[in-house]
Amino acid sequence: MNSAENNSVCPNEIDASCRVPLLVLFGGAALWLVLGLALGIVAMLSFHKPDMFADCPFLTFGHAQAAANDLLLYGFAIPAALGVTLWIFARLSQAKLALPIVPVVAANLWHVGVLVGTISILLGFSTGHPWLEYPRGASVLLFAAFMLIAVSAVATMGFRLNRELYPSHWFLFAALLWFVWSYGTANLFLVCNHPPRGVVQAVIGWWLTNNLIFVWLALAGVGIAFYFLPKIAGKPLASSGYALFGFLTLVFFGTWVGIPQGAPVPAWLPTVSAFGALLSVIPVFALGILARKTVWGAKVPCFGGPFCFIRFGMLSFVAANLLYISEFCPRASRVLDFTWFNAGVTQWQLLGFAGMILCGAIYEILPRVMARELPFAKLAKLNFFLFAGGTLLFVIPLLIGGVEQGMKLRDSNIPFADASAVALKFLRISTTGQLLVLLGALCLLLNIFVMTLQWKLGLLKTVVVVVKDSLVEGSAYQPLPCDKSACATLQRDEEVKP
Amino acid sequence: MKTGFCVFLAAFVALGASWLGLVFGPLKQLGVATETKILQSDDKWPVQRTGDATLGLQVYRANGCAACHTEQIRQTGAANELSLVNLGVHQAADLKDFIASLLGTMPELMNFSNAVAGNLAGWDGKLPKVIYSGADDTVISLLGDKLKAVGVKTEARVVATGADIARMGWGVRQSVAADYLYDQPVQLGSLRAGPDLANIGVRSPDLNWQLQHLYAPKSITPNSSMPAFRYLFTVRAKVGGQSSPDALVLPKEFMPAGNLEVVPTAEAKQLAAYLVSLKNNAPLYEAPFTPITAAK
Amino acid sequence: MSDEKKSCCSNETGEPTATRSAAPMWIIVVTLALLFTGGLFLDSHGGWFDKNVYAPYQSSAQLESFQPKSGAAAAMARGKSVYEGVCGICHNSDGTGKPGQAPALASSEWVTAKGINRLAHIPLAGVTGAIRVGGKDWNLNMAAMGAALPDEDVAAVLTYIRTSWGNKAEAVTADDVKKVRSEIGKSPQPYTGEQLKAMPE
Repeated sequence: MNSAENNSVCPNEIDASCRVPLLVLFGGAALWLVLGLALGIVAMLSFHKPDMFADCPFLTFGHAQAAANDLLLYGFAIPAALGVTLWIFARLSQAKLALPIVPVVAANLWHVGVLVGTISILLGFSTGHPWLEYPRGASVLLFAAFMLIAVSAVATMGFRLNRELYPSHWFLFAALLWFVWSYGTANLFLVCNHPPRGVVQAVIGWWLTNNLIFVWLALAGVGIAFYFLPKIAGKPLASSGYALFGFLTLVFFGTWVGIPQGAPVPAWLPTVSAFGALLSVIPVFALGILARKTVWGAKVPCFGGPFCFIRFGMLSFVAANLLYISEFCPRASRVLDFTWFNAGVTQWQLLGFAGMILCGAIYEILPRVMARELPFAKLAKLNFFLFAGGTLLFVIPLLIGGVEQGMKLRDSNIPFADASAVALKFLRISTTGQLLVLLGALCLLLNIFVMTLQWKLGLLKTVVVVVKDSLVEGSAYQPLPCDKSACATLQRDEEVKP
Repeated sequence: MKTGFCVFLAAFVALGASWLGLVFGPLKQLGVATETKILQSDDKWPVQRTGDATLGLQVYRANGCAACHTEQIRQTGAANELSLVNLGVHQAADLKDFIASLLGTMPELMNFSNAVAGNLAGWDGKLPKVIYSGADDTVISLLGDKLKAVGVKTEARVVATGADIARMGWGVRQSVAADYLYDQPVQLGSLRAGPDLANIGVRSPDLNWQLQHLYAPKSITPNSSMPAFRYLFTVRAKVGGQSSPDALVLPKEFMPAGNLEVVPTAEAKQLAAYLVSLKNNAPLYEAPFTPITAAK
Repeated sequence: MSDEKKSCCSNETGEPTATRSAAPMWIIVVTLALLFTGGLFLDSHGGWFDKNVYAPYQSSAQLESFQPKSGAAAAMARGKSVYEGVCGICHNSDGTGKPGQAPALASSEWVTAKGINRLAHIPLAGVTGAIRVGGKDWNLNMAAMGAALPDEDVAAVLTYIRTSWGNKAEAVTADDVKKVRSEIGKSPQPYTGEQLKAMPE
């Protein structure tokens, strides 16, 4: 942890220093992903069989959908991204993770917060603000946990040997500030004793939603992708100037999007958002083009490995965010507002973009951090196909169904029940997609769980052996001494195995 | 960027700018709002809710009703309308000619001659007849005066238009910030899996209808996808064979069998009171329209 | 259980690097073009940050034109348009009058008097000779500018001048004007200041 070290720390020591924090973060994230997807399916059951929860208040659509969405964002996406950030910062700094106990404590606090928040929503204590439904106790826990992890991440970044920042540093560091400020402000104003009166609550809610679902996920996802894509492809990132341009346009323009065009607020607010949305096309394209340029020509066989995940994620970044931006075009919003289209785009951003990139990153990081192979490598590859196919099957019917519903709603001669019934058949296909994604998430959970179990068993065995052979030197379970000269050779044996 | 400080600065300025513009600005502009007056009246808007309705908003929030219902009406246009109400001594045919001559001779009206002529073409004489509907208000007063001078009674109205407003009962004008002054928390909603509720208190003002709809939506709309909220009600034995005054009156298929009745819990009553308090029918300065004073 | 025997760097590439090069010019040009287009959009649809202007209204002037005009508001609007077309040429559109042409109506005791009898005679018949208005002496001729106007318009314009520019007096109805007109009869001679003062208020 000493920045005065002249030699860089060997990568496997860096990985080992990240092991426990990442296990807590990733393990919890995978669990919440499975639970969030399951709750999401339960929520959609209310549409397939409306009276299913007529006598059970906890699992109605209003409760389950809010809980599921929050689980996907706060339970899965944010902790997973934080874990990947810690590891990337440590690796780029070529130093061990700073203050390693802090993220462990923080991650546990975070998961407690998510648990408390989810149960509160199901019991009816949600705050009523979209994406901010966790009551004050839970949100304070989340905020504190994030601050702690951010401190450790910033310290790690501060101890870097090579003082020049790599583009991923910008994105991920900005993401740390972004969450703290947006989440803090929104909670301070909305989840408190004296919130502002009237529609301002909705405006602040929309500002937060945009800053989390669009900007924060973009910062985290692109930052992570820009680390792994060049690394796996074996080529440098195509252009640092381009990345800088993409970063600056994303943070300056992306944050203004969010106010729906038909909102009951003075005209300047939706107009400013439409302006921001128009300009946000630039960073979406720029970052997409840059990713494409980086991997163009790289001969990386895929077959469902992490490279596939991250590439799919970047394609989803461009597609999903272009659709998101299109919602803020005044003409389009007249058809698309208040339909399933919005839900489809959000899920594409959460699962198709952030989820895929985070999963790919987790599969890339875990074997290194645990110093062992994935226990179910074939399931990990199946995970990609389940996620990719499932996400598209989940999201695209929602988009199409939403457009159909919107067009029918515009015609006041069509009774409302008919207009909303047109979406129902799309919802059936969509729920099937959700099931596939859930199966993929189970693969992830299984891999992490069994890996943790194996590691713990290994530790147990080490303890037993050390106790038994405490007088014998050179115990079989000591880690190998690190040979830095061997680090010079480049080998990628993981991806070569089909 | 070379240093962490530069990154921090860029992110800080970017997020700070949007915080100022989208959080602080609206707080200062809208967050200090107080009651406003209904147009051409001394009545205040919004109307304070009853105690039950205020508690009902919390029931609405707790059950996540905003996940399927919105409470905001959108408006895509507005029109100044001039309609003929009473022709006096004239006949439709010669009135058409008179108006055509006015359009041809008066320079101020020439720009609108196509619009007005288009409305009058094919008019069979039925009243009331809208002869102009557009953005200009001066033509309304000019044409109105000229017609009044020859004894024709006209009515000038401002109407709000839009797909939401065209749906009967959904609202007569767009929702504006003033409508949500007393809502804590504001439940605008973002998905219309169910119809918009901004004006449900005018559309379905009967508390019993609301309660019946909550208990068994299919008893009112057979192909409804709204779940039944039976947990907001108690099914209990009739006391002494008599229904209590609160008991719901339901169609036979939805009534519980035997000597049982369905009674709403306090939460159900509060929720129904809240729904009945949702009204969007007052003209305001920022959302003007001419109220229809004649009984429907 | 061969994991532990793995060499520490068996499957490790170096950390990624970035090629130093700038963003292409075309995307910067597109950004500037979008900034300009967006600025135009903000100008036309933003309502200039007015808290009363909601989409689809695009400016506060446009919102004003859609306010329903009936009752008192309509009369004021009518009175204003009649005033600007008929009286304002001499009396000025802000009621301050023009020296050598017409006295001020703002704060004029003739305009704000409790009774409207004297005031109503002025536009219906005209004024000639010496008359004292607001402490100043005037000696000009005014034609019967309101003689050709219908009763409602005269009432509207009198109401307008009685309630504008700081004047606070009661409205004038069309019936009041009709009564005065019938008293005057057809083709009256313009009144002098003394004749007006001799009338009941």
